[in-house]
Amino acid sequence: MFANLTDKFQIIFKKIKNKGKLNENDIKNCLHEIRIALLEADVNYKVVKEFISDLYSQVQKEKISESLTPTQQIIKIVNKEITKILGSKQNDIIINSNPPTIILLAGLQGTGKTTTAVKLAHYCREKGHKPLLIATDIHRPAAIEQLQVLGEKSNLPVFSMGRNENAVNIIKAAIKYSNKKDIDILIIDTAGRLHIDDKLMSELQGIERNIPLQEKLLIVDSMAGQDAINSAKIFCDKIKLSGIILTKLDGDSRGGVALSLKKVLGIPIKFIGLGEKIDDFQSFYPERMASRILGMGDVLTLIDKVESAYNEKELKILDKKIKNHNFDLNDFYFQLKKMKNIGSVNQIMDMIPGFNNIKNNINFNKLSNEGNELKKIEAILSSMTIEERENPYIINGSRRKRIAQGSGTQIQEVNRILKQFYQLKEILKKGPIIKNISFH
Amino acid sequence: MKIINIISQIKDGLNKSRKDLADKLEWLFRYSTNKSDFLERLEKLLILSDVGILATSEIMSKFEQINFKEYRENNFIFFKEKLKDILIDILNSNASKFNVYKDRLNIIMIVGVNGSGKTSIAGKIAYRLKKESNDILLIPADTFRAAGIQQLKILADQSGVEMINTKEGADPASVVYDGISAAQARKKNVIIVDTAGRLHTKINLMNELEKTKRVIQNEAREFSLEILQVIDATMGQNAIFQAKSFNESLGVTGIVLTKMDGTAKGGIVVAIKKELNIPVKLISLGEKLNNLYNFEANKFVEALLD
Repeated sequence: MFANLTDKFQIIFKKIKNKGKLNENDIKNCLHEIRIALLEADVNYKVVKEFISDLYSQVQKEKISESLTPTQQIIKIVNKEITKILGSKQNDIIINSNPPTIILLAGLQGTGKTTTAVKLAHYCREKGHKPLLIATDIHRPAAIEQLQVLGEKSNLPVFSMGRNENAVNIIKAAIKYSNKKDIDILIIDTAGRLHIDDKLMSELQGIERNIPLQEKLLIVDSMAGQDAINSAKIFCDKIKLSGIILTKLDGDSRGGVALSLKKVLGIPIKFIGLGEKIDDFQSFYPERMASRILGMGDVLTLIDKVESAYNEKELKILDKKIKNHNFDLNDFYFQLKKMKNIGSVNQIMDMIPGFNNIKNNINFNKLSNEGNELKKIEAILSSMTIEERENPYIINGSRRKRIAQGSGTQIQEVNRILKQFYQLKEILKKGPIIKNISFH
Repeated sequence: MKIINIISQIKDGLNKSRKDLADKLEWLFRYSTNKSDFLERLEKLLILSDVGILATSEIMSKFEQINFKEYRENNFIFFKEKLKDILIDILNSNASKFNVYKDRLNIIMIVGVNGSGKTSIAGKIAYRLKKESNDILLIPADTFRAAGIQQLKILADQSGVEMINTKEGADPASVVYDGISAAQARKKNVIIVDTAGRLHTKINLMNELEKTKRVIQNEAREFSLEILQVIDATMGQNAIFQAKSFNESLGVTGIVLTKMDGTAKGGIVVAIKKELNIPVKLISLGEKLNNLYNFEANKFVEALLD
């Protein structure tokens, strides 16, 4: 149902390919697809509207209609614009020069505050700090126990006073405690609450008034829908938020809420949560999020990497060689090295839409073997002489034996590589592959 | 409880979302200058309610044939009725009630993604069924989340319902196995299984859930099985994927919509209904144990639009 935006663009551009240039209508069609993609990703309706009209003027300015690679151009502009909105310089925790640094975590029910609190404490510990977790969720049954158990498992100290003390008193006592224990970061886990629950919202304001907070972070579920900006706005009005942590990004949600929040609130997204393990926690990268919202994986990074791996001249030479049917093992060897520059199979899969999930779920021995396989092929190729690579047909039995020995492989494997190469040549004879895999 | 009471309670709970939506609808009636303006406003309203682009376009297409002038002159009452009818139609198809039988074992399995409110729902269902004088056993199959078992235990105590005990980290399928034998030995007529939250994309965890279901099917005798998926009303379009995956793995028999007491409209159920046709059975409107209601499409839509 959520077709990838790149695919949709391909369809539009296929229709207009013969016309050469894009007209106004073509561009409008593209913008329409982008609009749908953003709405499907749960970017807020009003944010989408504004974004599309900004984009329209941007597309006009950059003269897309005269470009030879319009798909790529438009995707790049969209991505650039989204990244610009999502981006921010300040995405780490602000540490108080005069400890302790006190961090408040707040949010709706079920967004992942407690799990995030523990992850954040672990993150701070890894950076050489001594964090203390403070359990102030006196409302949800067993919430304090949840934090205690998680803290214990990860060897992180948790401060709690049961359910009969109010949040401000608990935090004050925790600060006193931390002074004695040489603790420099305090992380407050609060109860989940509805933004329209006045009683609980004033509890948060009470904490803000009475405790010197360095960071006030809103925990947001990446699967959230259109209402997310309404609730976040109220949290921001009541306690001036300093940042956002986006959770549950290990699922397949497109996370459009990131764009809405950043655009409407203007506060940085600092971290993302990616799973149930304590270190499934990362800094926020605007570029990656932009591609995810558009449903394109990290295709852009892939485009960039492929572009930087090949220059125009090399591509032309390669194209010519294939056309003239004199693609040889030297070229094959050269290609292999290029591929290594682009990244490992694992990294490439990370960048392709949809593959991330597949990767998480299948046994990856097979693909890491593929990495070894590439190494093996490289070793075999590099054990050949230049002459052999130019004209593989001269590789006879004794040469095969030498190559196998030189590369530390078996003769059968040398045979297999040669056979694969001949097959590839047959395929290349049938038509240009490069055209089909290019990005326009 | 009288029907009027239920409507007014739902209206109360839905007050925030209702007011907002009703205002917008009023605004939509009064200020649309022409048909395309009207359609755009309608689109905005539906998208902002999380109905999703697909269901929204379909609903809009039903308005494309209208005679705008006529609708305007009639003060848009017709329009409102038409919108109501469309929404009720979508929500009502394949409707079925949440029901337990006194003459056999009823097994209710609660599933969903992390943070959707499964444990609270397990507690609320236990509370309600207890009041309807059923003999209930709660099974804490969420052995993964820290203190998940304790949370259910507290809710069980509050409802005066028995819970079988287990340890954190225990194999959920074997907890369920033990629970079913215990319930059958104690002649209970309702078993409520609270499962661990899991993202629908985690194949291993989904397999674990399938295994739990198989254990139920193998061990229980003469039972009816209700698999309820809990969906958070604040969720966006990803909830469709959630519902799809859980349904494919388990065959979900009903949806429970939670957190409807906020400002989110819960329009996602319209999208899910449209896409998968799984009946919405229960709706939850607050943190108290008695804030659980049968979902009734016309009342839901009426409360939302009137």
